[in-house]
Amino acid sequence: MVKKESKPKSASAATGGPDVPFGSNCVRLSRREWIAAAIILLAAFCFGPALWERIEKFEPGPDYRLPYASGYDYWLYGRYCRWAHKNSDALVIGDSVVWGHYVDTDGTLSHYLSRDSADLRFANMGVDGAHPAALAGLLRYYGRAVTGRKVVLHLNPLWMTSKKQDLQTEKQFRFNHSRLVPQFFPRIPCYWAPYSKRLSVAIERYLPFFAWTSHLRISYFDSMDLPAWTVEHPYANPLKAVTLVLPEDKRGKQDEIIGRGERAAAPGGMDWVELEGSLQWRFFRDSVKILKARGNTVFVLVGPFNEHRMGAEDLAVYRKIQGGIETWLRQNDVPYFMPPALPAALYVDASHPVAEGYASLAAQLIRNAAFRSAILGRSESAPAD
Amino acid sequence: MLFHSWVFAIFFLVAYPIYLALRRTRLGLLWLLTASYLFYAWANPLYLVLIAYSTLLDYVVVARMTRSGHRKAWLAVSIANGLGLLGFFKYAGFITDNINALLSSLSIPYAAPAPGILLPVGLSFYLFQSVSYAIDVYRGRIERETSLIRHAVFVSFFPRLLAGPIERAGNLLPQLRQTPRLSAEDVTEGLSLFVVGLFKKVALADYLAIYVKQIYDAPGDFQSPALILATFLFGWRIYFDFSGYTDMARGVARMMGIRLMLNFNNPYLATSLGDFWARWHISLSSWFKDYVYIPLGGNRRGAFNTYRNMFLTMVISGLWHGAAWTFVIWGAVHALGRFATRELERTTFYRERIPKLVKQLLIFAFVTFAWIFFEADSIGQAWLIITRIFTSGFADPRCPVLALVLVFGVWLYQFAYESRFRWVLESRGVRFGAVVLMILYLAIFAPASDQAFIYLQF
Repeated sequence: MVKKESKPKSASAATGGPDVPFGSNCVRLSRREWIAAAIILLAAFCFGPALWERIEKFEPGPDYRLPYASGYDYWLYGRYCRWAHKNSDALVIGDSVVWGHYVDTDGTLSHYLSRDSADLRFANMGVDGAHPAALAGLLRYYGRAVTGRKVVLHLNPLWMTSKKQDLQTEKQFRFNHSRLVPQFFPRIPCYWAPYSKRLSVAIERYLPFFAWTSHLRISYFDSMDLPAWTVEHPYANPLKAVTLVLPEDKRGKQDEIIGRGERAAAPGGMDWVELEGSLQWRFFRDSVKILKARGNTVFVLVGPFNEHRMGAEDLAVYRKIQGGIETWLRQNDVPYFMPPALPAALYVDASHPVAEGYASLAAQLIRNAAFRSAILGRSESAPAD
Repeated sequence: MLFHSWVFAIFFLVAYPIYLALRRTRLGLLWLLTASYLFYAWANPLYLVLIAYSTLLDYVVVARMTRSGHRKAWLAVSIANGLGLLGFFKYAGFITDNINALLSSLSIPYAAPAPGILLPVGLSFYLFQSVSYAIDVYRGRIERETSLIRHAVFVSFFPRLLAGPIERAGNLLPQLRQTPRLSAEDVTEGLSLFVVGLFKKVALADYLAIYVKQIYDAPGDFQSPALILATFLFGWRIYFDFSGYTDMARGVARMMGIRLMLNFNNPYLATSLGDFWARWHISLSSWFKDYVYIPLGGNRRGAFNTYRNMFLTMVISGLWHGAAWTFVIWGAVHALGRFATRELERTTFYRERIPKLVKQLLIFAFVTFAWIFFEADSIGQAWLIITRIFTSGFADPRCPVLALVLVFGVWLYQFAYESRFRWVLESRGVRFGAVVLMILYLAIFAPASDQAFIYLQF
């Protein structure tokens, strides 16, 4: 049945093993060749991403924020952190409230803070969908450049309004930025990724090269890997897709605003989690600790949450949670501001203000003594309205 | 545990140094067994029960075989055990489905419940290896292995455990009996094999799978060009997938000083179906030759019996691949192809006048056509694909050009390898460039693949 017509070259007898052919190709390197290959590959892995930074232009303007399409581009976030470290006076870090989900780049909190503080430049370091668990990971692994800066860290209480938002449900569901959350400890009940995937995530976030390859996919291949992209664009030249021009995204998601007034004001039942047992609160505290450990001056902005949506019971629980947050911040010497809720008309939903809301919030912050002291570096009393 | 995963990378980074440290001691084999069982248990710890049982049974059976006068009876026990396990885990569902279909066609209002048994990964591979060991001892071709640990390592040696090669005891056991003489060349060649296998699997097989799946999931939605290209690419996909696995398995084993047999030898350059099977899944086809075809009589009793034996062997081989009629037909189609090419090769015209390249392309076309039955979910779907290939009109297949470039690049490489231009491929620049480019491509462009190997399901 089996008839050998083409016998491949044997490569074994010399070392004493049975006479088994090496293979059916010539791709075999000697020890020296492997060493040379390893040096070249190691150089590519170590210096490739840095070299790429010299080739790919990245010139964020004063109101720059990570484009919506690049929300999962953690390498670009790290690059932006390095840029902001050099070119900004203070960084505003948080989720989509800081990012400005429903507003343009010139309608965000950082924009109004820069405008109203006159001589300080605030960088919008928000990432859409970055809940505290993800944010802690983002800062830990990709935000290493954020050192010795003034940081406004936003806490969105939305993430504690239900067990699901707090990632505490045992039922599996897909949540944003799962690659940023702890893969093993502490355990996140709703995160059911197989151990092999968790392990690969845990390894890859220590290797910048892989974050860079992810950047290439997100920036030039519609967030797909090359094979999937060529299936979508069968006749396109992948090399031509690498235009070296990063995605731009200046507009917010105004088109998602539907019946804003009604939705913003409608009370909705909330199932607040206990602050002490909250995973998101735990991760938020981790973020504060990470930033402080890196020599940053951290100022925490809590909310303002859309209290107009809350019934009396929800409001009472929220007040209790605010009290707990306040206590912890005080105990840890973290300056903070808990502004009162904005007028209902200035919200799009439970937590996102419209541009006028951000303007109002920025004005409140600039009048706030703790903010003035910690971020603006001014100890004089706040100007009158 | 898949070779192309970080889990395996960590497993190997732990297991390998310990193996290197212990291999000259009595603990070396024990560690190899522990590592193999850990590797196997990663998918499902319950699998260990089955492999341990099977190992122990064959160990005892072969021991009894060599000591008692009832050699044939003990061999029968080993074969019955192997076939019984295979039948239960692999074919119970198939048999039940067919019985139910028969009862239904006879209007008998009874349906046997579906067994719902999960096929343990690698079962077909290690059972065949274990059974062949018993047969070889029975035939007096090899000595019985007296060490239970060594016998267990022979059955479960982790690089080849999940999808072969189906090693012969005559090749593997002697290597396990001596302290592996590990040289730098073993490590470098093992690495070379592994990189090529990884590239075949992750960069090629998993890439082609995207297009093939898209077409084969809904063949009724596509026209002839897309179906032809998907079938063409499936042929390469299964080759890259399985030979990629084998290369990685051989590479890992080689780094440990163990030489596993060659399992693929550029099969798409075959000039006849016989030649194809001498190049494709060599460990299985030679297994079927030695333990099915020759015991059936081989080619010793005239043309009719030769063809009957060939046909039976190919159909059984088809059924080995999967418990479905599509695999039986696939085996039968190959058997018919073998008859045809065997007869053609007897003619002077075919042997001497038909250019080699034409023969190679004909065989490739035939093998590719047969893959339709292998990949299709059912006979109905296979038939739909075939009829649409020949009857549907033209539509843009939207097949990625890059995929075709890569496939034709590999094909061209293989042609060059078996030609007088091999020296070009042997040059340092080409070898070195190929390795560096493959690794860079894998690191930058390849998907974070978690697709299992096709042959793990067999």
